[in-house]
Amino acid sequence: MELVQRYIAAVQRELPEDKRDEIGRELKANILDQLDALANYAEPSQQQISQVLQQMGRPSKVARQFVPARPLIEAEQMQTYLYTLYIVLGVLFVIQVLGSTVAWLDNDFGLLLYMKSVLSGFVGDACLAFTAITLGFAFSQQQGTSLDNNNWQPEKLPPVDAPWQYISLQDIFTNLATYAFLLVVVWYPATLSPADLAEKSVRLSEHARLALSWFTPVMLAGVAFCLWQLRERYWNRTMQWLNIGLNLLSVAMLLYLAAAGPLLEMNSGRWVEAIGWERLHRAMTYGLLITACFPAYEVLRDARRLWQARS
Amino acid sequence: MTAAQLDKMRLELRRGVLVLAVLASLKQPHYGYSLRQQLRQDGIDIDEGTLYPLVRRLAEQELLSSEWRQGEGRERRYYQLSELGAQLLGQLTDEWQQLNGALGSLLGTASQEKP
Repeated sequence: MELVQRYIAAVQRELPEDKRDEIGRELKANILDQLDALANYAEPSQQQISQVLQQMGRPSKVARQFVPARPLIEAEQMQTYLYTLYIVLGVLFVIQVLGSTVAWLDNDFGLLLYMKSVLSGFVGDACLAFTAITLGFAFSQQQGTSLDNNNWQPEKLPPVDAPWQYISLQDIFTNLATYAFLLVVVWYPATLSPADLAEKSVRLSEHARLALSWFTPVMLAGVAFCLWQLRERYWNRTMQWLNIGLNLLSVAMLLYLAAAGPLLEMNSGRWVEAIGWERLHRAMTYGLLITACFPAYEVLRDARRLWQARS
Repeated sequence: MTAAQLDKMRLELRRGVLVLAVLASLKQPHYGYSLRQQLRQDGIDIDEGTLYPLVRRLAEQELLSSEWRQGEGRERRYYQLSELGAQLLGQLTDEWQQLNGALGSLLGTASQEKP
């Protein structure tokens, strides 16, 4: 019978503390009944005990049968969780590559050290982000909060011939990543001391930082809009008007940045001198103008769709 | 179809029905092992790893009442259908009979169509 006690103790070790006594007590009663039946109510042999316990299964398996493990992320949240992970890790990777590239160009420390700098910086940030996102999802799941809209109505489903009304997860998360990236770029320097900031060889110019900080409410509105899209998943008129508004503001900001002078301030590194400051400035201006074409295209696209829906 | 696939489907098919079988058997009080024997006699063989946790879950949902009793030199936990469990059993029985009737005619048609 000592083997039975050992088995029950092993099962109890795998159980939550508040359930150990009760389940252990019940399990013991059930095992003793099985042994009685097997030994025909005589004293069971060691072999018979071993046989019954073997048949019951490993202690950890038995414990899981009584108290099944709850997954951290439920299946219905898994797609959103994975997209969030991809996007956040993607943004972190881009930021890390930009930072390491600037340091590499400034110091010329060799390709292997450059790759090490990218990887070590990214892995550290990625671990933190992974933990934070997973815990965030697990906590919201425990609280029973979800982005899914349970009050959906079939009448709101898009017509078959208007597939554009579906908002793809990829689009939503791309926009979220863009806003998150911009928020990090604008507000990260605020976390640095003036001495650390002065050491940076590349930083946003003062007027660009000021303009982008004024743009912060728009970025936050963009994040809220993306979360609303995640909940609804279909375009409606209000959403389209809002999207037009946000994109118009983005175009205006990008055009202002392109016109108002240098986007970045750079300490005169070797690579800046090699490429030429004027050429770099021109490339950044063209980059901003090209970037402005994307929200401008969305403004035209949404305006056309609204006009078509009205007519 | 492989034996593993068949086993998996059989398990899925039985899973929902087991609750009904356990509730129906517990109109009379039973402890774990006696319940298993009762079900076996009625033609439902269920392994202890499934039955005992299921009975506990039903008790936690207040569908079963339970009490510890002394007998044959040791204690046993006896389970019996509670009032809430009896109501549910009635509803599930109706559901089962309706489903069984529908499936019976479906399966009957299918077996007639079989070449």
